[in-house]
Amino acid sequence: MTAAQLDKMRLELRRGVLVLAVLASLKQPHYGYSLRQQLRQDGIDIDEGTLYPLVRRLAEQELLSSEWRQGEGRERRYYQLSELGAQLLGQLTDEWQQLNGALGSLLGTASQEKP
Amino acid sequence: MELVQRYIAAVQRELPEDKRDEIGRELKANILDQLDALANYAEPSQQQISQVLQQMGRPSKVARQFVPARPLIEAEQMQTYLYTLYIVLGVLFVIQVLGSTVAWLDNDFGLLLYMKSVLSGFVGDACLAFTAITLGFAFSQQQGTSLDNNNWQPEKLPPVDAPWQYISLQDIFTNLATYAFLLVVVWYPATLSPADLAEKSVRLSEHARLALSWFTPVMLAGVAFCLWQLRERYWNRTMQWLNIGLNLLSVAMLLYLAAAGPLLEMNSGRWVEAIGWERLHRAMTYGLLITACFPAYEVLRDARRLWQARS
Repeated sequence: MTAAQLDKMRLELRRGVLVLAVLASLKQPHYGYSLRQQLRQDGIDIDEGTLYPLVRRLAEQELLSSEWRQGEGRERRYYQLSELGAQLLGQLTDEWQQLNGALGSLLGTASQEKP
Repeated sequence: MELVQRYIAAVQRELPEDKRDEIGRELKANILDQLDALANYAEPSQQQISQVLQQMGRPSKVARQFVPARPLIEAEQMQTYLYTLYIVLGVLFVIQVLGSTVAWLDNDFGLLLYMKSVLSGFVGDACLAFTAITLGFAFSQQQGTSLDNNNWQPEKLPPVDAPWQYISLQDIFTNLATYAFLLVVVWYPATLSPADLAEKSVRLSEHARLALSWFTPVMLAGVAFCLWQLRERYWNRTMQWLNIGLNLLSVAMLLYLAAAGPLLEMNSGRWVEAIGWERLHRAMTYGLLITACFPAYEVLRDARRLWQARS
């Protein structure tokens, strides 16, 4: 498999999980750059070209609330999980844990079978 | 910082007007945060600004990330869209070839001019048809209308040993093309003035035009039936009975046209005299009889399938 193919599959694998990661990180208010740093600290490196549009889309779907605040001499848009977003996060977390458990046992079996 | 303003303005130019201010404002805040981090909260150098903007990507790319472009035709409609294009363009090409051939035989203007006549006429019509079909699909997509039947039931799927129950897209579009072609042939002369019509060296004879205009409801029913087939995609008893009815009417019409006299009226062109009017008339009669065999075959085929399903 080429590096390009691997990158594409990795991107596909991460795409759905990013929504969960962003929603979970926005239990506390964050502006764009601080959210990116927070995710990076938690081990999820996501480029700004993906993160900022994703956050906007989630806000448009009313999963996040947002407000402009002044700080350090300029304005920033802060995002935080809305009530609807919190409900979705709960549902997605359950789904993720179920999937993770199933995949864990599948991958465990696969690694045991590996010659 | 002037470079940042230029960059944001370039991104905004690629965005829909109602989103420019908000996205520009947010983008600026994000870029300034990145610059702060890079320059450790000091005044960033021109090189650092350039580096951050380079990393963000081309303005058009950034704009598309915020507002992704919607395709005119969604992937699930693409097959139907392509078939529609092939069939409509095919019908237009056939009509253009027929028209140019008649003009060529009448005037004997050389092969190159004949090819030019076919191509220029076809390209003009094809552009119009392509635009109309694409806009039609895009509009129906925007309205959320689709020919796909979402209320399908697995029980209606054909048995494995009866693959004929699947209706292929090719068959549906071939029938649609036939009806569309006939509708154009019958009703196109109605759009011409009497003077233009008189100039035509080949036209439908009066009795054929009258008979075919009486046949118009059947052709329209055929078009509606094809659209229903597109939605269902499997033969059922009602569809088979309807197909038998439509094909029987088509056979009757073709036999009537074959028996009732000349299909076409022709001004005495050189080629008509060369071939001979009688011979042309006989060829058209045989052509109609042979054409009638196709719907007749479908009548027998569907009747046999219905009888087998009952027994």
